Amino acid sequence: MSKPLKRNVLFAAAFLIPATLFTLIAASDPLPPDATYRPLPTRPFSAVKADDEAQKPRVMLRQADLLNRRYDMSDRPIAGVMMSAARKAVQGGVRVKLPAGVTWESLAEMSPDEIRQRGLMPEGFLPLPHVKQATGGQVIPDRHIDEIRRQEARDLRRFDVNFDLPDHLTPEFPPPVFLTTQPHLGDVSRGQLLTIKNFYEFMNGIITPVQMEGLRLLLTPFPQEEFNQTEDRKVAEQSTGISCLDCHANFHTNAAFHLTPDVRPQAARFRLDTTSLRGVFNQQVHGSKRSLRSVEDFTEFEQRTAYFNGDHVSATRKGVHLPDRTNQVAMMAQMQNIIDFPPAPKLDPFGRLDRTKATEQELAGEQVFFGKARCAECHVSQTSFMDNSMHDLKLERFYQIGNTSNDFVILPDGPIKTFTLRGIKDSPPYLHDGRLMTLADTVEFFNLVLGLKLTQQEKEALVAYMLTL
Amino acid sequence: MRLLALGSTLTILLVSSAFAQIGNPAGADPGTRQAAPGVPAPHQTNTQDQLFAQQVGSGGMAEVVLGRLADRKAQNRAVKEFGQLMVQDHGKANDKLAALAKSADIPLPNEPDPEHKAVQARLEGLNGAAFDVAYLAAQVQDHQKTAQLLQWEINSGQDAQLQRFASETLPIVLKHLRMAQDLAAQTAGQTPREFAPATTGMDHGDGSRRVRQ
Ligand code: HEC
Ligand code: HEC
Repeated sequence: MSKPLKRNVLFAAAFLIPATLFTLIAASDPLPPDATYRPLPTRPFSAVKADDEAQKPRVMLRQADLLNRRYDMSDRPIAGVMMSAARKAVQGGVRVKLPAGVTWESLAEMSPDEIRQRGLMPEGFLPLPHVKQATGGQVIPDRHIDEIRRQEARDLRRFDVNFDLPDHLTPEFPPPVFLTTQPHLGDVSRGQLLTIKNFYEFMNGIITPVQMEGLRLLLTPFPQEEFNQTEDRKVAEQSTGISCLDCHANFHTNAAFHLTPDVRPQAARFRLDTTSLRGVFNQQVHGSKRSLRSVEDFTEFEQRTAYFNGDHVSATRKGVHLPDRTNQVAMMAQMQNIIDFPPAPKLDPFGRLDRTKATEQELAGEQVFFGKARCAECHVSQTSFMDNSMHDLKLERFYQIGNTSNDFVILPDGPIKTFTLRGIKDSPPYLHDGRLMTLADTVEFFNLVLGLKLTQQEKEALVAYMLTL
Repeated sequence: MRLLALGSTLTILLVSSAFAQIGNPAGADPGTRQAAPGVPAPHQTNTQDQLFAQQVGSGGMAEVVLGRLADRKAQNRAVKEFGQLMVQDHGKANDKLAALAKSADIPLPNEPDPEHKAVQARLEGLNGAAFDVAYLAAQVQDHQKTAQLLQWEINSGQDAQLQRFASETLPIVLKHLRMAQDLAAQTAGQTPREFAPATTGMDHGDGSRRVRQ
């Protein structure tokens, strides 16, 4: 049927159909065909690459501008506080910038309505955009890219975007590895990044054959959304892929980021900061939104749906990888399940501070955490400072939804799972999208969101306390 | 930061395109003329831009038609006012869209699509509270779909002006959606389900828009 004719028939039909059939008409209404599914590239790889490369400086500059508008990105470590392997200093101070004319104290006195109506929500508290939202995908920090090139001659550098945060605001690299099965050994990483080239030598004799096979799979690159062999890739050469531990470096995180697989359309997909896999054995809820209930499910699913795109269709086009549930997935899971948190020498078996070891300020912080600030209601000490639940912090009480920031549409976060606070000083940036740079930022964030009205002294004590966890 | 060092060389480019949308070039129309490498010239559209303009165009037209109908037939005063607001806001948006579509050579439909005509026909036949309920239900659905279309354009389109139009319209459409939901709840005798009221009545100036595009 020709188009105009078809339309006329439809028009006529619309008037003839009685009200009871109304829903049938609505169900046939046209929405764009690529609103859920990822469209195929419309042009050859070389043309896309040339444009991507031409856009890159502008993309990075726009993101740097956004970051500098939101945060003080300077290198200001807390004196004498290092991450667990003493390779990097922990950054201090509140980094989120305030809008003109308010202080943290005056802001905390205002109601959410007032802050929203006057547009006073600090921009750094809002969801953080991906460096290139329309494309999205995995972005790996430079130090990891360089190390993988050195060890494996594999290229993880995208031609369209770079990693956007400065090195001092990311976790130490390479992070230490602690095993639940070998607590007496301490860090077993030998100060190296675990790769497919060295893992056997490092782990031989301290893990089981099953764990070893799991580790091998976790370090094996597979073709995925941006790193593959098709024209729908963002690396120069046809790529052998990316491995699980290219983001979860040494089972911790290197702050690689991505877009959530769980949301569409693309413009609304929020950024995801890689979570640490330390202590994953104690977690019942995996993924900030997906709420998968086992490490096995998570592992199998990530392999099958193009690492964080929630798109099995597009993934299949780049090579099917269906890890066998009993022989492969289970082994990958068992390896992940022996990764421990870093030691916290000041905590007793209840997860409370040992009075003989903690400072006055740390003890004061613990008191605030369990008392006035009510942190412990969600970050429960007996269960590794989480509650295996998702919570809606309802941040949108404080800002007008639907504005666009670097092509990202800022909408309510909805329920997000409570993250553990064990070893928290090792894993900046904070929150599911990495929108907060320091622990002091998280204290200001919760002070406002939960309406706590903490004093400056209480805020500082809370930070000191979290550094002990 | 290392990135900032690039600043000086790019200033000229940025004057014209600061904070403009940057799409995935994998989805660009192969015939796109470029203003600079990687930057589509003004009014160079891809399929998504065209489909967007047409769908939002016919939807917007329907909002005005249905808004007039509500102004005439609604029983509840707040629903009447909501209808007037739709006529006013979507009228403005339609004019903006028409101008943009003209510069980009996209033919817009000159009447609402079949789905909206069916809705109109149904609403013509209803009166009193039944009209209010049906109108609001249709409005909720419409604004949900429009919000989706606008977001789709923000990432999938390539005409910077159409994309900016989508970005600017989205917060207003989300506010309309919330208002329609609140009104629907009120007409059904429920308390609005949300903590952050969309503002009732005509005032929907809700703080300055601090987030730049
Ligand atoms: C692109 C970087 C990246 C790669 C590659 C990656 N992950 Fe992740 N991983 C993440 C991010 C980001 C999250 C947080 C997901 C969320 O919040 O929904 C995550 C979460 C997880 C979690 C859940 C942790 C928790 O308790 O919430 C597990 C388990 C996990 N990944 C395992 C894997 C495995 C196994 C692979 C390889 C198949 C893999 N990851 C590959 C970035 C990555
Ligand atoms: C209502 C439950 C709840 C309470 C109370 C709460 N939190 Fe959280 N916390 C969460 C959730 C949920 C997240 C994840 C939020 C997100 O990523 O968007 C989180 C994340 C965090 C993070 C970042 C973790 C990471 O890995 O990035 C820190 C730090 C934190 N909370 C500290 C605190 C402190 C300090 C308090 C008390 C002042 C507190 N929380 C009170 C639920 C809670």
